[in-house]
Amino acid sequence: MLDLVIRNGLVVDGSGLPGFSADVGVRGGRIVKIGHIAEAGHEEVDARGKVVSPGFIDPHTHFDAQLLWDGYAKPALTHGVTTVVPGNCSLSLAPLKAKHRMKLVGMFNQIEEMPNIAFETGVEWNWETFDEYVKRIGKDLSINVAPLVGHSLLRLWVMEDASMERTATSSELKAMQVLLRQCLDAGAVGLSTSFVDMDETLKPVPSRLADQEELHALCEVLAEYGRILQIVPEFYDADVTIARVDQLADLSIQYGIPTTFSPLFVNADNSNGVDRVMKRVDEQFARGARVWPQVQTRPIDISFCFAVPSLLFIRSPSWYRVMRFGSHDDILNAFRNPEQRKKMIAETTMLNMLWPRLVLRQVKTDANQQFVGKTLAEIAELRQTTPVDAMIDLSLEEDLDAHVLAGDMGHNDYARVGALLSHPRVHVGASDGGAHILSFSTYGDTGFLFSKFVRDTKSLTLEGAVKKITSDTANIWGLPDRGLLHKGYVADIAVFEADAIDRGPEYYVQDVPGNGSRYVRDAVGVDTVIVGGKVAWSRTSGYRNDAQGVVLPGQVGGAA
Amino acid sequence: MSATLSAVRRSIFPSADDTWTTIAARELKGTPEAEAVSLLQSWNMHVFMRAAASMGSPRAGKQILPSDVIFVEAPKA
Repeated sequence: MLDLVIRNGLVVDGSGLPGFSADVGVRGGRIVKIGHIAEAGHEEVDARGKVVSPGFIDPHTHFDAQLLWDGYAKPALTHGVTTVVPGNCSLSLAPLKAKHRMKLVGMFNQIEEMPNIAFETGVEWNWETFDEYVKRIGKDLSINVAPLVGHSLLRLWVMEDASMERTATSSELKAMQVLLRQCLDAGAVGLSTSFVDMDETLKPVPSRLADQEELHALCEVLAEYGRILQIVPEFYDADVTIARVDQLADLSIQYGIPTTFSPLFVNADNSNGVDRVMKRVDEQFARGARVWPQVQTRPIDISFCFAVPSLLFIRSPSWYRVMRFGSHDDILNAFRNPEQRKKMIAETTMLNMLWPRLVLRQVKTDANQQFVGKTLAEIAELRQTTPVDAMIDLSLEEDLDAHVLAGDMGHNDYARVGALLSHPRVHVGASDGGAHILSFSTYGDTGFLFSKFVRDTKSLTLEGAVKKITSDTANIWGLPDRGLLHKGYVADIAVFEADAIDRGPEYYVQDVPGNGSRYVRDAVGVDTVIVGGKVAWSRTSGYRNDAQGVVLPGQVGGAA
Repeated sequence: MSATLSAVRRSIFPSADDTWTTIAARELKGTPEAEAVSLLQSWNMHVFMRAAASMGSPRAGKQILPSDVIFVEAPKA
């Protein structure tokens, strides 16, 4: 008897080849047969009329903290995602000395918009080394995790406060190499670094103080393991991004390692820039380099309220300063003070085209419920004021708890985004899962890939889209035995309806430690998600607790 | 494997001690210092627009980070 049989589905195996009707049999966590299976299974899944594909792999997340209180990475798993890569953008949660914990929380708060209270109430800090962190999360995983180690963490461990002030000495470089080896031995999938991020005091994160010698020293270590380098480039400037592509290409060729950068957006003001970046990527691949641009599927939607700092205002210092460094009362007082308010409004004249189309999405008071769902232009007309004044007045009336949506801010020319996603050297990713929890939902990008770019724009075939988020990702990231439905491969599987899979509407839910809230989206059209041969979630039974996720690629010399 | 790379805007990675002035002297030889610095700053707004390191930092007053890309020519038309 088999452990699990998935019957009568359309097997889209992740290779990009056409789907075919077959059963899939699983024993001992691996796929043992694909075809007509007479043998019964201890558990059977009826997949008639549905697609059976490898589980999806999300290569750009920040689930580092969430995995400490939620081994499913909810609700990512329900969208068919069976493997997540946390630790992007130079930030991981290990290796981390106890004395640096709050410093790192500040960075996560600033860069990934993760609330401090979630760390304070949801995290039991009982690790320092990467090995200890991996063992800590590995105890209770129902999703697979391929964690990157953050370059800023290596610097902070070795150089302490100097990590944010200067380049490393030769002995510090050697210490970072030793530390990176320890992390890779413990199961890190690669190294992440950032050229753009700032900490909570708006100082450059440690990785930005590294010179070329340091990056080369770390890539020497990655070369020993054949592991990946992920970077965040200056994505808002095509010329700088091209320079980073060249930098990555040289590292990739010299050290024989794969590299990836994220994000790459198609915006109205940079469409030519994206073409130039992709031309350079093509040239560098032709030269033998591996430089994978990561492109997200969803358009840019940003929600905000003034109770927490929003990166939407980072280029407006008088707004951002008070949101970042001021107290709740400081923000209220800034809006109440006529002179300060006037100065703030004057500073954002470049946003004058934006304000009218922002939409009020939620408020606390009964009096203002009438405005929910209306644009600031509509509200301003009803209240006989300007859109920006309407937003500020509502924020005051709601004690800063008026939530506003800036929708369709970019990356929403679906024909162009679809063409980019279908490019053979574009890596689908950059969901930011687990981060920016009060700005937007980072869940459902895979569903959106199918609904928008397979069914709507037809930029990709069903098989092509599955390949993009399964075997392509496994190959790029060096995850053996994953990403394909082939005999002998690990049974990470998604069962879904090809004509229905989608992301549901974005909504606000209070499920973050410390009574915190976040934006999420439910899956649509996903039926069953299998991790390591066991059902981890199904539409009928919900989350189950018998699936055991693993850390990938796992300890060197160990079994994943 | 070999392939021809098309011409892109020329850039350098600064050394840890580099300033606008040292890069100007090295990369824009023959151009008067003040003019060279001004040109560099105008070609590198992604660096020039950022706040300099604060007093008390070993990098006090510096804008350029060792990881930066610094363009040494104007954007291509």
